Amino acid sequence: MKLLSLFLKVIAGVTFTSQLAAFQALPQQQESFELAPGYGKLAYPLPAKGSYQLPPLGKALDGKILDEQGNSGTLYDIFAGKYVLLSFIYSNCSDINGCPLASNVSYKLKSAMQKDSLLADNLRLVSLSFDPDRDKPEVMRLYGENFKYAGNKGEWKFLTTDSMQQLSPILQAYNQDIQREKSVNGDQSENISHILRVFLIDPDYNIRNIYSVGFLHADLVKNDVKTLLLNSIPGTTKIVNQSNVVSLLTRPGDNKEGYDTLNYTTHSNALTEREGKGKPADLLSIARNPPLGLPALPAQLLAGLSAEKIALGRKLFFDRRLSLNDTFSCAMCHVPEQGFTSNEVSMAVGIEGRSVRRNSPTIFNVAYATRLFHDGREYSLEQQAWGPLLAKNEMGNPSIGYVIEKINNIDGYRELFEQAFNGKGVNMMTVGEAIASYQRTLISADSNFDRWFYAKQQNALSISAQDGFALFTGKAKCATCHTVGNDVALFTDNKMHNTGIGYNNSMGIKPDKERVVLAPGVFIEVDREIIDAVGAKSPADLGLYEITENPHDRWKYKTPTLRNISLTAPYMHNGSIGSLKEVVDFYNKGGIHNEVLDPLIQPLNLTDKEVKNLVEFLQSLTGSNVDTLVADAFSAPVGDLTHSDPNWANSGGFSNED
Amino acid sequence: MNTKIIKRFKPAVVIALTAITMLGGINQAQADETCQSPYMAKITGQEDFVYVWTLGVEGMGDGQDKLVTVDTNPKSSQYGKVINTLSVGGRNEAHHSGFTDDRKFLWAGGLDTNKIFVFDVHTDPAKPTLSNVITDFVSASGGVVGPHTTYALPGRMMITGLSNNKDHGGRTALVEYSNEGKHIVTHWMPTDEKLGGADKAGKFADGYNYDVRVLPRRNLMLTSSFTGWSNYMMDFGKMLNDKEAMKRFGNTVVAWNLHTKKPMKVLDVPGAPLEIRCAWKSENNWCVTTTALTSKIWLIYEDDKGEWQSKAVADIGDPSKIPLPVDISIASDDSGLWVNTFMDGKTRYFDMSDPFNPKQTYEKVIGKQVNMASSSWDGTRVYYTSSLLANWDKKGSDDEQYLKAFSWNGDKLVENFSIDFYKAKLGRAHQMRFGAYSLYNKFSKLESIDDSSKQIAQLTGELVN
Repeated sequence: MKLLSLFLKVIAGVTFTSQLAAFQALPQQQESFELAPGYGKLAYPLPAKGSYQLPPLGKALDGKILDEQGNSGTLYDIFAGKYVLLSFIYSNCSDINGCPLASNVSYKLKSAMQKDSLLADNLRLVSLSFDPDRDKPEVMRLYGENFKYAGNKGEWKFLTTDSMQQLSPILQAYNQDIQREKSVNGDQSENISHILRVFLIDPDYNIRNIYSVGFLHADLVKNDVKTLLLNSIPGTTKIVNQSNVVSLLTRPGDNKEGYDTLNYTTHSNALTEREGKGKPADLLSIARNPPLGLPALPAQLLAGLSAEKIALGRKLFFDRRLSLNDTFSCAMCHVPEQGFTSNEVSMAVGIEGRSVRRNSPTIFNVAYATRLFHDGREYSLEQQAWGPLLAKNEMGNPSIGYVIEKINNIDGYRELFEQAFNGKGVNMMTVGEAIASYQRTLISADSNFDRWFYAKQQNALSISAQDGFALFTGKAKCATCHTVGNDVALFTDNKMHNTGIGYNNSMGIKPDKERVVLAPGVFIEVDREIIDAVGAKSPADLGLYEITENPHDRWKYKTPTLRNISLTAPYMHNGSIGSLKEVVDFYNKGGIHNEVLDPLIQPLNLTDKEVKNLVEFLQSLTGSNVDTLVADAFSAPVGDLTHSDPNWANSGGFSNED
Repeated sequence: MNTKIIKRFKPAVVIALTAITMLGGINQAQADETCQSPYMAKITGQEDFVYVWTLGVEGMGDGQDKLVTVDTNPKSSQYGKVINTLSVGGRNEAHHSGFTDDRKFLWAGGLDTNKIFVFDVHTDPAKPTLSNVITDFVSASGGVVGPHTTYALPGRMMITGLSNNKDHGGRTALVEYSNEGKHIVTHWMPTDEKLGGADKAGKFADGYNYDVRVLPRRNLMLTSSFTGWSNYMMDFGKMLNDKEAMKRFGNTVVAWNLHTKKPMKVLDVPGAPLEIRCAWKSENNWCVTTTALTSKIWLIYEDDKGEWQSKAVADIGDPSKIPLPVDISIASDDSGLWVNTFMDGKTRYFDMSDPFNPKQTYEKVIGKQVNMASSSWDGTRVYYTSSLLANWDKKGSDDEQYLKAFSWNGDKLVENFSIDFYKAKLGRAHQMRFGAYSLYNKFSKLESIDDSSKQIAQLTGELVN
């Protein structure tokens, strides 16, 4: 309310004449009462965050200032560590499209910070007076009081200088020509003529943008700050017209592409070189700045994230000691270079080789999943983490307490938990939260599709992939479940559907012979009875029904995201389909008929060319930062048993002499 | 030391040969003992024991892996009986084992948990004890998973890995340990990215590993290639249905410089070459392996230019039925080769007198499934066990688990005794290694002292009380 009254007061005393010359390039200023765009809704769509660059425009120079308490300091002290939006104002300013506009935009940004912790953590608002004679520190403090109703979160500094002499070099450095207006009788007026310039300065004191009346807008500033944050993450810089997204690290080190043919040659990577390709990434920033095409994470999730928790979660994720027999970490099934899933097996294999009845889902973008596991039986990553830890056929730990006790007895963990969780040690909550924290940072988008669709880069997507997208949202109806929004796309509705794959399994519908590859390009047809002689009976799997016992939920499984889909073969909840083309063929035929088949699944009558284009579109969904995330994972230590770890055989108890 | 032992056993050879001649002139001499490292002492007479590295089965007996000692001396009152079991904790995917060059210790690896159990077999050969457990094989080796063959080199053990701790796939290494149980060095298998100076002779350099054997006279070490943890631990039927998994088998044999331990050449041997056996005779510069999936015998031989080459020389059974050749055993005079095929439970004898044209001359069904074959030095006794891998063994009533002992007279196998490992609540019988009192200048405390051993000992003046 106070702000409103301030504006009313300001508006009541407006004088416009002196600024007109400065605004001549902007037609609306000819009309004195027309408000600057910054007061209203932005008239054009914001460019996608990270889809453009803000190259440094020059150095933001230092200078001596006084803060609200009258303490002397420097601008660089104020600028340190954050992005800064610097406005030059004076408290008596009555030009509504001048200082009040700058303060109004700052006020909006401060308000936004109350919900946007990323903004609050990274942007500092600074208002510096160019009227040191009148704007003493106390005046600036009172001026600032008017804006405190924006909320407590975030910083907004109200500064002045000791004298005009101290101010002059600053004004010069920031190219702020001012002159005291004269009143009609020739006396100096309180009003100061100036051109509105608001500066966005990065933590390295580079000016990254300068806003004038015509385009100073809170949304734009916010967008610019987030773009700069995104671009500051190594490996995630988005450059307009950058060549297509191609992942170099995300493929199995033991690549079997083309194994079906006699021409196959190996292209195997050395495990020893894998470590050398490791490079830690700023995962926290990635979580705070989702790449182009993905929404911001909910504020309450971001608020819980910290670099310490993420680092601890990553350590746990790669620690094979977290299983009963020290052989299994999360990463053994969610292999970083295999799309954080496993390209090498259709269904996972747990400790002692126990069969897991479903395909390992990718961890990429799991932060956005509202339900977890293929049957959707969990709702948060914190809870979900305990599922595999305790499953007899996954990591096989016998109890929660066992896991906690074991972690406590492995060198170093206790301290890391206490550091990450404010003194709290290893417990069920902190283990879940740490692992969840790491997983939440594995966010990947800014694909060729995103650049084409959201950043409007015409060349980012091939014509055939564009046709594929038209099919995706049109004739093929994929987007009904794999949703695409106007601003962002998760490519999943987070719901459960029955495609018939599960039905087929339950009914034991299999061919009499299985085509088995024995060596590159060498196949034989093996009788089903031979396979059955050496195979355990398939476990039952009824999907969502197992959670609800609702017969309508038989064979329903969660819609997976399609982001990075070309990295996460094989497909479907049981990994039964090896290639994207076969997946499209499957849906083209209308899935597998059963009494509770999802009515959305119907024959599509796609032509071969349409199938090809659809596949090409799906292949365009690889995020630009996947290699950053994989390289980060490569840099994580893999936890394996050492002589100092808890294990009966480490304590010399192996002698059988009683 | 080896020289000393060989000298000591010369009389045994004489006696054994005399006995063989008396029995009707058996000229084959295929033997598990010939599968041992050439650096190691050998039992040329009667083995007193067979140590069976046995996989625990959940819900059966104590459910854990164990070293089972069976008395195999026909003169013993305990002949054909289990005389000792030593449980080691956990189901580790017990698989292969090998003695140190002094034959005092038996190193037995767990393909799943990566533990290596070191048994003292010399203090009391009838009752091995656990002397050491290497628990940090993975971390010490830099990420190698699945310690498989433990093969004696002088003063150290060469251990083949099958997998790794990054993706549980087949890329892996050879790892050297000192006899004292300390990690010395890890030699990663050549991959396309890092061939390590090797010549990729064909299309494949997969980085996989399985078995290791040496031919010291040619300064050659050979390794073969199987598959990674995800596959060897997976349910066999599930894997056959898994098209991606089936692409993850080794297709290579690597020829190494034994002295420098540097890979020289990566040879294409498609279809998962497993066991390697090298010829003994000085004129036979070849080794042999069999491919599990493509069911062939492959010869790795030195050509007239001194180059090592690979060649498929015979089919094993009907490859279209995937008989799955598993263990092999070569004759000490290189004249024959036992080849077991898991799926049909058969043991097959191949005449290797022309190694480029092996011919199958005999076969017998040993059980509903068969894996390992071990025969005595003189070739007259052959032992078989049943288990391949815990999750690859057949299911239901086909899952027979046994140790069976046979006599071989050159024409046929005659069963001497059989132990049902399930009935005895022991588990899955895997690899066999022989033990003998005579190796350690010891004699049985039981009533049955092997007269011939005693005679040998008297001859050599080394009888101890």
